Amino acid sequence: MIWKTAWKNVWRNKVRSLVVISSVTIGIFAGVFSIALMNGLIAQRVDDALNEEISDIQITNKNFRINNDPELVIGNAERVYQMLKSESGISGIVERTIVTGMANSAFKSTGVQIVGIDPEKEKQVFTLYTKIITGTGDYFQKESKYNLALIGEELAKDLNIVRYSIDTSTLSRLKRKGLPLSAIDKLGKLAGKRFANEKQFVKKMKSVFSAGEAKKYGQIITKEAWSFREGARLTLTFLDKDNNQVGAVFRLTGLYRVSNSVYEKSSVFIKNTDLKKLTGLPDSSYHQMIIKINDLEQTESITDALAGKLPDMEVISWKKLSPELAMMTDMVQQFYLIFGLIILAALAFGIINTMLMVVLERTRELGVLTAIGMNKKKVFSMIMLESVFLSLIGGVIGMILSYLVVRLTAHTGIDLSQYAEGFGALGYSANVYPKISAGFFVIVTILIIITGIISSIYPAMKALKLNPVEAIRTE
Amino acid sequence: MKILEIKNVQKIYNETEVQVNAVNDITLDFQEAEFAAIVGPSGSGKTTLLNLIGGLDMPTSGKIIIDGTDLSKLKSSALIDFRMRNIGFVFQAYNLIPVLTAKENVEFIMNLQKWSKQDRDERTFELLKAVGLFDRANSRPTKMSGGQQQRIAVARALASRPKFVLADEPTANLDSKSAATLLEIMEKLNHEEKITFIFSTHDARVVKMAHRVITLEDGKVVSDDVRE
Repeated sequence: MIWKTAWKNVWRNKVRSLVVISSVTIGIFAGVFSIALMNGLIAQRVDDALNEEISDIQITNKNFRINNDPELVIGNAERVYQMLKSESGISGIVERTIVTGMANSAFKSTGVQIVGIDPEKEKQVFTLYTKIITGTGDYFQKESKYNLALIGEELAKDLNIVRYSIDTSTLSRLKRKGLPLSAIDKLGKLAGKRFANEKQFVKKMKSVFSAGEAKKYGQIITKEAWSFREGARLTLTFLDKDNNQVGAVFRLTGLYRVSNSVYEKSSVFIKNTDLKKLTGLPDSSYHQMIIKINDLEQTESITDALAGKLPDMEVISWKKLSPELAMMTDMVQQFYLIFGLIILAALAFGIINTMLMVVLERTRELGVLTAIGMNKKKVFSMIMLESVFLSLIGGVIGMILSYLVVRLTAHTGIDLSQYAEGFGALGYSANVYPKISAGFFVIVTILIIITGIISSIYPAMKALKLNPVEAIRTE
Repeated sequence: MKILEIKNVQKIYNETEVQVNAVNDITLDFQEAEFAAIVGPSGSGKTTLLNLIGGLDMPTSGKIIIDGTDLSKLKSSALIDFRMRNIGFVFQAYNLIPVLTAKENVEFIMNLQKWSKQDRDERTFELLKAVGLFDRANSRPTKMSGGQQQRIAVARALASRPKFVLADEPTANLDSKSAATLLEIMEKLNHEEKITFIFSTHDARVVKMAHRVITLEDGKVVSDDVRE
């Protein structure tokens, strides 16, 4: 009866209840979706970092991370490799040779880390082979008599290896992508011209468009006007094992694009065999052994087990290799808690206000209920249930709404390419896929019920203090 | 059988600078199945006396004993429970719960007393028939006239078979036809259910039908007439 009466009381003033329910819905939706967005952003960053940059566990010479001397290789790498292969929980192992050097194009030079890889083996651990920009070449697939190098899009831009130009094929592509004819006509004025970098191209493009058009179409045009000449050359210089400077010309096999633009700017991939030849390092020696494991939860236990078996080497997990990622994943939990508490506190004050109004408006009725025999516990429960119903209805609608939106956007992604440069500089992808666990919804439901109960305490206490004689006299 | 004893009850209000003797040394007894009216001018202490009898207010001195239980000895929660089981209330302004239907209002106290559904339904329909509103069982109070609401309030007051029903000016807000119907119903229920009715009233029609008329003036009983 108390439940039924409380439920009916919620709908006594429909407008007011709907306003409260709407505010709870919006609050819960905003909170859950923001958390899902952050979750997605961080999960993606961790995923990208592990799949594209560092993987789960690395083994190096004890001093290699402090001093990148080419001589600091893993001793007896073959024995280590065989030992790792026999370990359980490991899904992939790759060996890398790493030197620091300079990348030089005909126009510019920049410092890079040159990574020697076995392209086929790398596929067990890293997803770089899936990150080749269409039309720029491939992932070491074609046989070549030249040394081949794979570089990032950002490095290509830094070295002025890319060009910006508008030709008939660019215009047709833009037309297919929905650029209006008026904009195509205006863009036609740039046909046949070539620009050495993005800055020059954008400046010229802005001169043919209005500010509004440039803002609206600028990004898609810049993306389509970009071109790369396959087989372009690059000179890499670095120190060999005896600390003599060596260098060689490399043909670009392709360009890769990952979410971390800093990584793109600084990492050049060449074949292990080519790097070994140039550095003079023995075939069986490597600077890094990189391990992919089956279950990320096992990272620390596998790392510790391997460290015990390889006392002369440094065995390090991704959490220590990239402490900012580990800190972020840990810190974000605290952040969610604070964020959630702020939202729930705001909702609680809204509910308290409404319930105080309810008690004030129903003073006489509450007096009558007490007079005819409804005890304090039941009056308290009724007010509390009304508050819980209000918060729970709003909360459930908010959660359903956020679940649907998270589900939809988790599939389509949210395009934040407007801020791609900033995101890229921080290592984040500009296409965010919100993510949330089912357990999170359970926690939110419990928190909403608790909020409803806490919010009802003060108004319910007010109701309990009513004197039935005075309350019945109230107009 | 004596069901209510009022012994030297006094109620003094000190809320203003002037001390008000709302009920002044009243001693009364009520028997089972009485149909009694408490009359008197405004401010004579009728409502205060009903509030004291109903345990909604506590006397400054004196005792109120219902079926052997001294109300002043009961703690707040026990008093609420005692009211629920022993006293029915009918208010001037009906005071039904607007979100509940007529049936739900009538069975509210039975629900609080955890009656079984079958017993609740039997008693509710019996009372709704008795007050002539069986066909309005599923109507909400807001869809009913004042007279109909007050009949539902009477049914609610009688629902759990209390020792007595206190009715504070039950006909004050009703037109003469509705008032007459209500009084007939109350008298019939008093007769059939053997439940004592105690009214406070200004209404001459109520006084006319009462079997006992107690007149108050300045908080004192000035007459107590029992009619045959």
